[in-house]
Amino acid sequence: MTAVLEVSKHMLDALPNIELVSFLIIVYTMCFGVRKTLATIYLYVLAECMLFGFGLWSVSYLYVWDVLVLLVVLFKKSESALFFACISGAFGLMFGALCAIVTLVIGGWSMAFTWWVAGIPYDLVHCFGNFFICLLLYTPVRRGLDQIRRLSHL
Amino acid sequence: MKNKKIITVVVGLLVAALAMFGVWRTFAPKAAGGYKQVVVHVIDDAGADTSYAEKTDAEYLSEVMDELAEKFDFSYEGATSEYGLFIDTINGVKADYDKDGAYWAIYVNDEYGQYGADSQPVADGDVYKFVYEKY
Repeated sequence: MTAVLEVSKHMLDALPNIELVSFLIIVYTMCFGVRKTLATIYLYVLAECMLFGFGLWSVSYLYVWDVLVLLVVLFKKSESALFFACISGAFGLMFGALCAIVTLVIGGWSMAFTWWVAGIPYDLVHCFGNFFICLLLYTPVRRGLDQIRRLSHL
Repeated sequence: MKNKKIITVVVGLLVAALAMFGVWRTFAPKAAGGYKQVVVHVIDDAGADTSYAEKTDAEYLSEVMDELAEKFDFSYEGATSEYGLFIDTINGVKADYDKDGAYWAIYVNDEYGQYGADSQPVADGDVYKFVYEKY
């Protein structure tokens, strides 16, 4: 599961803020549950730190994906691809604000606000990318992972 | 009822995205047009200060740097990521963050820069400093 996150992320490196990680975390949470998904997330964060070294981004990565898992858990009764696409899009939209929390601690409100505002165009791309990826892929990938789960007794 | 809920969520997401766009238009740094006189200092790992004065109509600092590279003995290298342009080498001096925590800091009128070089607006009379620092 972690390897799929890593490969999918780096496959789309050339397209800033277009990523499959958010979508995969949503379907992982729905198919395999919170514990397995969180373990996958932290292995993914570790792999990223080993590849790119530690930085401010590493601190935000420790909590930002947990917010997405929490959102999915809160609305897990829904089976609508459109609904989860909105969750994914909303997460993309708030990604910059969530990461700005680290900047807030280091540099105060002014620095955090400036940093967040500068990243808004990327957050908008992130939002629309996440929305359409999830809308298109949720149903078929969810079906496939559910089958894998049944066959492998995970 | 369920469809109404989903439509509300979709509309809510669109409204939030539009609101954020509005915030960006209001608070993002605005580049000034017309000719501007600026000075760029490069303070390297040995503390040596090289300065360049430039008259430019560039809107952002990275464009000024491109002009300096054409006219003077100035060079820079960097990578563009989701966070913007990240400069790792200036005038052949590479700041390797992974090796020893070194990086090129940007100062604008002696204050720590809030933006990357590709989003830092250029204003008349600005003094920019690229300073080799260690974390």
